[in-house]
Amino acid sequence: MIEVKNIQKKFGDKVVIENVSAEMKPGQCNLIIGASGSGKTVLMKCMVGLLTPDQGEICYHGDNFFSMNQEQRTNIRKEIGMLFQGSALFDSLTVEQNIMFPLDMFTTDSAPQKLKRVNEVLERVNLKDVNRKFPAELSGGMKKRVALARAVVLNPKYLFCDEPNSGLDPQTSLVIDKLIQELTVEFNITTVVNTHDMNSVMETGDYILYMYQGKKEWEGTRKDIIFSKNQLLNDFIFASEFLKDAKDMRMLEETGKMPNVRNMDDMTRS
Amino acid sequence: MRLLSDIGQFLLMLKGMFKRPEKASMYWKELMHQCVEIGIGSLGIVAIISVFIGAVSTIQTAYQLVSPLIPLTTIAQIVRDTVILEFAPTLVCIVLAGVAGSRIASELGNMRVSEQIDALEIMGINTKTYLILPKIAAAMLMIPLLVIIAMALGIWGGRLAGTAAGIISPNIFDKGLAADFLPYNVFFALVKGYVFSFIISSVPAYYGYYVRGGALEIGRASTKAVVVSCVLILFADYILSALLL
Repeated sequence: MIEVKNIQKKFGDKVVIENVSAEMKPGQCNLIIGASGSGKTVLMKCMVGLLTPDQGEICYHGDNFFSMNQEQRTNIRKEIGMLFQGSALFDSLTVEQNIMFPLDMFTTDSAPQKLKRVNEVLERVNLKDVNRKFPAELSGGMKKRVALARAVVLNPKYLFCDEPNSGLDPQTSLVIDKLIQELTVEFNITTVVNTHDMNSVMETGDYILYMYQGKKEWEGTRKDIIFSKNQLLNDFIFASEFLKDAKDMRMLEETGKMPNVRNMDDMTRS
Repeated sequence: MRLLSDIGQFLLMLKGMFKRPEKASMYWKELMHQCVEIGIGSLGIVAIISVFIGAVSTIQTAYQLVSPLIPLTTIAQIVRDTVILEFAPTLVCIVLAGVAGSRIASELGNMRVSEQIDALEIMGINTKTYLILPKIAAAMLMIPLLVIIAMALGIWGGRLAGTAAGIISPNIFDKGLAADFLPYNVFFALVKGYVFSFIISSVPAYYGYYVRGGALEIGRASTKAVVVSCVLILFADYILSALLL
């Protein structure tokens, strides 16, 4: 489990994150959502230790990451896998070498064992015959899947995904979301996903933290979102008329009641 | 103020490099890779420059030594000493600052901008040790070797040009080469080679590692790295000459 306790981060005089706290449990997809500039990437970077917060704690299994010595931090980091927004694959290495890199660095497995593991994770992310290809030869979706394979190759306890769907078409986004969700449940990983993709929110959000201007504005599950009265959250999630209708339909399914007149009129018209 | 901040950050970067490697075999592999990139990768340009610099210095020396009182062996002596003392270490290293230095800065800059360095950090790898130390070590291993090759090729180029132009016969040139030879000059050139190789690798590594922004900033960092390296090489050249000669 990851506990975020009263995190505050400033850049100069600008407060980017203000007193954010959250609990992220294993075996579920924990989503951090919010508009661009709301501080979700900074929060994730604080969580993985790429940025040091000015105040607060990030606890992995109860131990504050920022009170640990270098060796303890390194040990925690070996349990972390991260999928970056731009995939962050090593350009000069092939797909196979990219995925094998953490194995080469941190295991004493033999070459055939490592290759077997690489092929296992590649198969798990539905990729075949790409071992010898370089990242430049892959599509955006394939790069994300290779990066996901690299992130999980060491069986991490924590998986961080920074906007895994950015730049992908809706269908590929769904594939990536499904993969992240399946891997989370299958290996009981504590997964933290930064996203502003509404499909991801409604499909995978076991726990959702909504950030607004650096503060925690709302938290709950994807089911709670449907019934939320938080205006900022509703404006962000259900920004278009189409999504507002989708929300109303879902509410109708759940409660048997229509939430407002607007949709009743729309539905009558149709 | 900015200069002091840069020097401080540069020194912290150097300090941060000296951490225990996560796995020695991976670092060895990276060191060998960098030796090939910096050493073998720069061999062609070093060879071409050395041969032509030697050739030009023979012709120009002969052009200036018009007095019949000066023996022809003096041409070989001047070519030998200028190539060993200045052309091979300094000129070659200035060229290498452009070739290897810009490559180091742009490679690290690209890794920084595309979050590859962050990815390594997340894996628990000390990126300064893994990415910068092998580059500096490889440069300090390979560049002095390139300087030695440059010395040999420069002198050979001078001999070839002198013969081809009918300025000096090979026998007289060889005789001049052996006359009043000071092995200390080679030692001095190697000292310069070591100092310059540190500058060529560490300065671009600093600019590349701490780059912020996008492709434009990578280009700027690369250019700045080469300019600063060249200025530092010339400054170090003066200091070393004043101290050691």
